[in-house]
Amino acid sequence: MAQRTLEMQVRKPHEGSAIVDVKGDITGASEDILMDAYNQAEGARAIILNFEGLDYMNSGGIGLLVTLLVRAKRQHQKIFAFGLTEHYRQIFELTRLDDAIGIYATEADAVAAVNS
Amino acid sequence: MSVFPGRLRKVTLGGRRKAQGASAAPEREAVAGMADVAPADIASNDPIIAYFQAASGAVDLEGLELESPARDALRAAGVKMVVPLVSQGELIGLLNLGPRLSEQEYSTDDRKLLTNLASQAAPAVRVGQLVREQQAEARSRERIDQELRVATLVQQQFLPKELPELGGWEVAAHYRPAREVSGDFYDFIELPEGRIGIVAGDVTDKGVPAALVMATTRSILRGEATHAAGPGEVLRRANDLLVPDIPPQMFVTCLYGVLDPATGRFRYANAGHNLPYVATADGVVEMRARGMPLGLMPGMDYEEKEGTIGPGESVLLHSDGLAEAHSPDGEMFGFPRVMKLMEGSGGGSEMIDVLLEELDRWHGRDAEQEDDITLVTLKRSASAGVTMSADEPQEELTSTAPAAPGRTSSNGRADDSVQVLDEFTLASEEGNERLVMERVTGAVAGLPLGSKRLERLKTAVAEATMNAIEHGNQNKAELPVSVRVMATDDDVQVHITDLGGANEVPDDTETPDLEAKLAGMQTPRGWGLFLIKNMVDDMQVTTDGDHHTIELTLHLKGDGNDD
Repeated sequence: MAQRTLEMQVRKPHEGSAIVDVKGDITGASEDILMDAYNQAEGARAIILNFEGLDYMNSGGIGLLVTLLVRAKRQHQKIFAFGLTEHYRQIFELTRLDDAIGIYATEADAVAAVNS
Repeated sequence: MSVFPGRLRKVTLGGRRKAQGASAAPEREAVAGMADVAPADIASNDPIIAYFQAASGAVDLEGLELESPARDALRAAGVKMVVPLVSQGELIGLLNLGPRLSEQEYSTDDRKLLTNLASQAAPAVRVGQLVREQQAEARSRERIDQELRVATLVQQQFLPKELPELGGWEVAAHYRPAREVSGDFYDFIELPEGRIGIVAGDVTDKGVPAALVMATTRSILRGEATHAAGPGEVLRRANDLLVPDIPPQMFVTCLYGVLDPATGRFRYANAGHNLPYVATADGVVEMRARGMPLGLMPGMDYEEKEGTIGPGESVLLHSDGLAEAHSPDGEMFGFPRVMKLMEGSGGGSEMIDVLLEELDRWHGRDAEQEDDITLVTLKRSASAGVTMSADEPQEELTSTAPAAPGRTSSNGRADDSVQVLDEFTLASEEGNERLVMERVTGAVAGLPLGSKRLERLKTAVAEATMNAIEHGNQNKAELPVSVRVMATDDDVQVHITDLGGANEVPDDTETPDLEAKLAGMQTPRGWGLFLIKNMVDDMQVTTDGDHHTIELTLHLKGDGNDD
């Protein structure tokens, strides 16, 4: 059966922001890994999701991002993202996730936006 | 029929030809007036051709002022005078004359005589030319006939000389080639434990190459049938062996099944051949299994299915020549007609007779048969082995298929041009949508589908499959999700079917709204149908009580949705 893998590594290269490097698939089954990463990012004002390593995201994964947004909102954290392919960028637009998550092309752009 | 100037034939006056022909200098001692030149190879762009064609009689080469290599060649060969032979406006030959033996110039009377002669000789020469051309054609026809005879011989050599004798079964076959050589073939292969392999195939193309491919395919199948595990594996190996050797543009459709005569169990796989039909007491059912024709692409897999032919039932293997025959007014005989005729036929050889009689009556007995017709049928006698087959599940006799492929597209219009690219089933396990995505991606690889549209199709297919697994089949792994990938000239269509027909079709009135979700007014989930609808150009949901199908349609050419 399909090998479903997801890894998320959390980096904190800058004061106040955490970068989550996503590698693999974000689906409805990704909740534990995603929330674990979110917990590691604790204390950061901004959480930057690096989607450069994203292979596949489905509606279940989108649902989890919504859950993440709800939690982050409660903690007054902002979420940013970069590295989305054109296809997933279009899906972010369709679902209007791009209203709630700042979408940038590169890590440098996202970091700059956090600090602006 | 035109004669090419470059192949003008030489006509010489006088009776004798010199043995060494060609470039000899003029020889006075030769027969009066004769100049012997090589067959005049006059270039097609030589102006002398137009000159001769328009000339009203004999032409004196001495006085001919023309830039012409042919004139120079004729002069060099000692020709003094040329009389063009013109028939129906075409230059068909030249009468070449050397100097008069008397060494006098040609007189006016001589010229008149020659001109007269030419006007009468030209038609005769033309007739001679035509006769020779026809003889050449006849020889070439004979060669073709000979080739057809060889091909027929090769082919007949490889058709079964006799039908197998199976206790409790009536085996019948009918084979009627369209012209002398057919691309159809069939075979019976004896297997261990009393089982028998049954082959029905059709090589594209006719003639010697097709006969050789047929012979090769037959040998490969015979070899693999005794080694490989099952029909799907036999076809898979046969395909890989054929691909490197088969001429381009040629391929083989082939049905291969293994019958256990004792139980009526029939395991089969299909490489793009017509579906076998089984005539049962409850009507005629198709035996479906997906697979590409042999010889097209390496590494293909062949779905393997199993059905049971019950007592009194008949299975029919049939080639295109029957169902795709046309009536004088262009109507196709059609698969539904074949099935209907099977129903009332009594099965076995009677069934073949019924089918052929109806075909003859329908397209006219004298009409030329368009394609080869091969019919193979096995009828199980009514009394045999009832107890042995009673508990055999017949689920694989997929008359339960939710919608016949190629009959109607999602918009309901009859559509004969639908091509099924792939059809398969998967267990209802979480994550299997990725497999479907990959398989669909492979199936549509040959279509002119842009990368953006492909991404959209993949997302839609994955979401629809997830719906089928989670909602339709309630995550019960043993329930299959069936996927059919089809293409028309304009669209790619994917139908995804689950067994949740009894469940209510999910209500899609609630459009997911991110703000409502963030405010906790909606569940964070529920994006699936919304995504599907936004990915494809058309989405239909159908249900028939047992099954629930999502039909996805994406236009092959973008209509602005790509932006």
